[in-house]
Amino acid sequence: MFLMRLFTLLAIACLPAVFQAQPTFPLTELPLNDMTPFSAPPKNWQIVGDVQADLTKDNALKSSQGKGILVNLPEKNSNGNLLFNLQHGDIDLELDVLMAKHSNSGIYLQGRYEIQLLDSWGKKTATFGDIGGVYERWNDAKPEGQKGYNGIPPRINASRAPGLWQRLRIEFQAPRFDASGKKTSNARLLRVTLNGAVIHENVELSGPTRGQAFPGEAALGPLFIQGDHGPVAFRNIRYRLYSDAPATLSKLTYRSFSGEFPGVPDFNKLKADNSGELKALTWEVVNGNNDFAIQYKGTLNIPKDGAYRFELTSFANGMLVVDGDTLLKSGWWTRDTSRTLKTGEHAVEIAYAKSVDWLQPSLGLRVEGAGFRPTDLHTASSAVVSSPTAPILLEPGREPEVFRSFIDLPSKRRIVHPVSVGFPEGTHYTYDLDRGNLVQVWKGPFLDCTPMWNDRGDGHAEPRGAVLLLGDFAPLSNADTFDVQAGYRFSGYKLDASGAPKFSYNVFGAMVEDHIQLKEDGKYLSRSVSVKNAAQPMTFRLARATKLQQLDDNTWAVDDKAYYLRLPEKSKATVRNAGGLQELVVEMGNGVFVYEIVW
Amino acid sequence: MTDVMKHTFGLLAFLTCLTLSAQVPTENDYYKIITLPVPEGIVLEVGGLTSLPTGSLAAATRRGEVWIIDNPDMKNGQSPTFRRYAQGLHEALGLAWVDGALYTAQRGELTRLLDENGDGRADRYDCVYSLPLSGHYHEYTFGPKVAPDGSMFITGNVAFGDQEWWRGESRVKWRGWTLKIQPDGTMEPFATGMRSPCGIGMVGGEFFYADNQGDWMGSGGLVHVAKGDFTGHPAGLRWANLPESPVKVRENDIYYRANPRFSPPGKAIKPENIPDEKPVTFESVAAEVPGVKLPAVWLPHAILGISTSEIIVDTTKGSFGPFAGQMFIGDEGQSKITRVFLEKVNGVYQGAAFGFRDGFQSGVLRMCWGNDGSMYVGQTNRGWGSTGKDPWGLQRLVWTGKTPFEMLKVEARADGFEITFTEPVDKNTASNPDLYEVTGFLYKYHPVYGSPVVNDKKHLVHAAIVSKDGMSVRLVLDSLRRHYIHEIKIDSVVSYRDGQRLLHNTAYYTLNEIPDGDKLDVPRRQPKKVVAEATPAMSAHDAHFAMSKSPDEPKTAAAATAKPAAPKALAKRQTRKPEDWDKTDKTITLGTLPGLKYNTTEMTVKAGSRVKLTFSNNDDMPHNFVLVKPGTADGVGEAALKLGLEGEKMWYIPKSSNVLNHTKLVGPGASDTVYFIAPTAGKYTYLCTVPGHAQIMRGVLNVVK
Repeated sequence: MFLMRLFTLLAIACLPAVFQAQPTFPLTELPLNDMTPFSAPPKNWQIVGDVQADLTKDNALKSSQGKGILVNLPEKNSNGNLLFNLQHGDIDLELDVLMAKHSNSGIYLQGRYEIQLLDSWGKKTATFGDIGGVYERWNDAKPEGQKGYNGIPPRINASRAPGLWQRLRIEFQAPRFDASGKKTSNARLLRVTLNGAVIHENVELSGPTRGQAFPGEAALGPLFIQGDHGPVAFRNIRYRLYSDAPATLSKLTYRSFSGEFPGVPDFNKLKADNSGELKALTWEVVNGNNDFAIQYKGTLNIPKDGAYRFELTSFANGMLVVDGDTLLKSGWWTRDTSRTLKTGEHAVEIAYAKSVDWLQPSLGLRVEGAGFRPTDLHTASSAVVSSPTAPILLEPGREPEVFRSFIDLPSKRRIVHPVSVGFPEGTHYTYDLDRGNLVQVWKGPFLDCTPMWNDRGDGHAEPRGAVLLLGDFAPLSNADTFDVQAGYRFSGYKLDASGAPKFSYNVFGAMVEDHIQLKEDGKYLSRSVSVKNAAQPMTFRLARATKLQQLDDNTWAVDDKAYYLRLPEKSKATVRNAGGLQELVVEMGNGVFVYEIVW
Repeated sequence: MTDVMKHTFGLLAFLTCLTLSAQVPTENDYYKIITLPVPEGIVLEVGGLTSLPTGSLAAATRRGEVWIIDNPDMKNGQSPTFRRYAQGLHEALGLAWVDGALYTAQRGELTRLLDENGDGRADRYDCVYSLPLSGHYHEYTFGPKVAPDGSMFITGNVAFGDQEWWRGESRVKWRGWTLKIQPDGTMEPFATGMRSPCGIGMVGGEFFYADNQGDWMGSGGLVHVAKGDFTGHPAGLRWANLPESPVKVRENDIYYRANPRFSPPGKAIKPENIPDEKPVTFESVAAEVPGVKLPAVWLPHAILGISTSEIIVDTTKGSFGPFAGQMFIGDEGQSKITRVFLEKVNGVYQGAAFGFRDGFQSGVLRMCWGNDGSMYVGQTNRGWGSTGKDPWGLQRLVWTGKTPFEMLKVEARADGFEITFTEPVDKNTASNPDLYEVTGFLYKYHPVYGSPVVNDKKHLVHAAIVSKDGMSVRLVLDSLRRHYIHEIKIDSVVSYRDGQRLLHNTAYYTLNEIPDGDKLDVPRRQPKKVVAEATPAMSAHDAHFAMSKSPDEPKTAAAATAKPAAPKALAKRQTRKPEDWDKTDKTITLGTLPGLKYNTTEMTVKAGSRVKLTFSNNDDMPHNFVLVKPGTADGVGEAALKLGLEGEKMWYIPKSSNVLNHTKLVGPGASDTVYFIAPTAGKYTYLCTVPGHAQIMRGVLNVVK
């Protein structure tokens, strides 16, 4: 019973996420070995091996030879846009993008709808003109100042600093047209994430944005990238096209039965109360909401030979049979299965039986193919839409919020003694008091405390916004944690004049103070580690990463340009290999070591 | 007496009763509850409360803030003001003011808060001691309570298992322990056996705690915690053999005597009460295992609370009324405060517990004294629910200056008890031994959640001797049982001054030690003959004995009175499908949600339909399902509360024609299936009658034609 309830919650929580969790249908990578994927590429667009921006120089982007990165290096007379050969309608598109300082570009879906790319680093608010925004539409007939309209800002400014790779994912639905060519529904951004933060969800686009490559709107069009505004680089371009009509359900009939049905009954032995035809699957053909069973029969029309995924949701027992084979036997909640099917008609049978008083009825069937998105074969009201708890969100007021909770990491480790610090400037971090470690940083909204403060809660809060994980280890140890011999003891924190904490701890007999402050209004952080009473020098690990690159005397790019570390002049940082990773370390004696974390 | 006189007397008595009932004093006549206005936007889920030398209050909240509340007693008719002193603490569940600093226990730390720049807000958060945690939600930490020498006591909850979610576990060091910590951060593991030790307090410079009912905890109780003690829950014993542990008890000492009933691996089976077993009591384990500490005063579950919290001593020297020096213990679930009189006999603490004040707005978690001798009561019920329906609150309890007629104290004597009252008693009534009902009982010590009352015995009161000044009564009993809880119920003894009855007529005395001293030479009375057959006049107690022969199948009124000639009549708890049912028309599965809720609050059935109902309890405390006649839910809930010691055994089902059908008392992880015929059309309430639940845990059964 308890487990069942847990499953309900899980089932409800997972409904929208099920398909994303299991990539049955992988994305296709656009090879960036040469310029063949592009249509008559102008020469400002090139394939290179690496790029490097300059945090101090506008539109500066250096490149080096190689493969895998598409870069735009515009000159005064060479600044053409880039048209892809790939034509698309509905598409999922993922890519990494890297902006030069103050650079500007844009990705035009179908050559018509621009997702803006801009170096928006450090801006407090984001407009349609910032990275991730849907640029304005344009009407030349209007007077000056009123020509632009319908721009859509991203929910938050999830921008990273220039020269860093930023992850953009777009789920796009093309406009639909009837046989006469008249538009029947607008293009949509189903969901867009930038650096992990959702910036659009279920947004309609009323028409093409300014600077569109083609007139009007169409079912298909090529991707198109702006090249005339500044240097920009891309890599890891992957996509999935949805070019097929979805599978459909036709000739659907039902027979309904009333009574107690602890499981799916043998319908042949029962006399139906009612029967009839349906356009879509629904349980709402019975009276009342319990003690009934329904048998559905119909035809599944498969558009193309290939693999198909079925997701059946049944609160109480449901069953799915295709071509006489039981794909999902009698069972509860949301379950899925895959099946290879030939083009054409397939007999389908669905059963639903419910004699469970405490559950609302819910019946849904979704199908997904390589060429179409998960498609509901049920009516909108047949499947339960969960009503989650009203969220309890925490934002700093006039002063920093210094906040203790459990923090869960992507590795599934739960930090039990962390402090998350939220600044009014909108830049935040989490610090692990057991390891003296700056774990993660992010900008935008601060914390979602619902998991902690709703009901008993489980004690943890979740950072909102685009979180950057810096690492989960003890910087002054050689391991993830301190061993007993280190004598680590956290002693507390004091708030500075701005209300930001200075953490203190003892380790190896030394007293360490760790002070993390905002710089340039929260664009980046400065971390000051001061040591007293050290008997011998200690090794401080600044980073532990897959890849470290020294960009200039003092600047390091960490984790393949996920973020920068800026070290003081003449600091003797060295790189060492440890456990298959690279570590950037400095020797630290008594005194103060200050460095910056820039992202 | 002639018949006429009898009648006249009866009528007079009746009229007297009427008059009296019109002016029966209530708790509110003596102690008034004043609710403090809290500015909108502040969520004051009070986890810690202390008064400051300035007369202001400081409240720590479960949302991790510390608020300084100026002018809490609303002098000049002005509202209090709230200033945020500290923020971001992890579920702060205690607060103490020591030498200019506030100390609070967070989940993972004992923290000192200091205002160094003098702007009235903390700017220094010192980690006095960092506590290991596994990250389980139930790992709450309470305190500190400060000893006269400045050392501090904190207590820690156990976690629960992932699969065996009912079993308390100490996953990391010192969960389930009391720790003694110095302000410099020196920590000394002090005692273990704690399960959910929210109730903490210093009494006469010594540390006391009160646990919550649960696995291994038959009932809440007040425990004097000395260094090295083991107080009941075995989870913390995992660390007892570490060199720094002063606890000498080992897991095997306990499990050898009280079977932990570990389920086989992979099988999550919640242990259930075994009705007919010879019970193991904590007292019997203590008799054999040195270092096991019995409660000084048991607080009978469901009668004097269901989830004990703060312990404070009345240090007001009379400003708060006649109970100076006594203790008050809060209760979260029942939104109430219990009073305790403590004495030391043969060097051992023991004493009596009494009802004191009900009716707080939310779950009572923390109490402290204001500078004017009133009591502040900080409250929250998030995640657990409480009789008081507000999610949180801060109230003030003020003595009106009137002295309630109460038992001031109950003291043990060699042959019974001496009860002292707050006012002289009427000697004529008070000297009648029949007006005193004394029942001794204990609880089981087992891995099951909670316990029924066991080994109960009604004592014969040989004499009730009223002192010359009328202030006290000496009860001479037929026998005394050491370690037992003695329920002393006083019927119709009235005060000499105005004929009032006792405001609270029951005391629960825990007799850890029987004192030496004179035994009074009084005539021995003989027990009244017990009528052989159970008649309608049988007392609840007799009924209980009748029942206890088959405790899992108590005879409900319907079952008992069902005559063979009326074959269709079902028991109120019909657990087998009636033979004449060819099928059931309706199967209902009902569950629970945390915070005193059923998972379905509205159900519909047809009148006369044959219903099978399975009630599965997936909460971590026991519940039942009671279907009652329309408009009678409040009354049935009240009646369940009045079952007193019988309550748990009777599954909190009062004998009442208003109860239509019910399940047994279903423990966490268990279920009960009953069959009944849906009544005539109408809206029927179903409720959980476990004390403290009846007001909140309800649903509606719509019976349609």
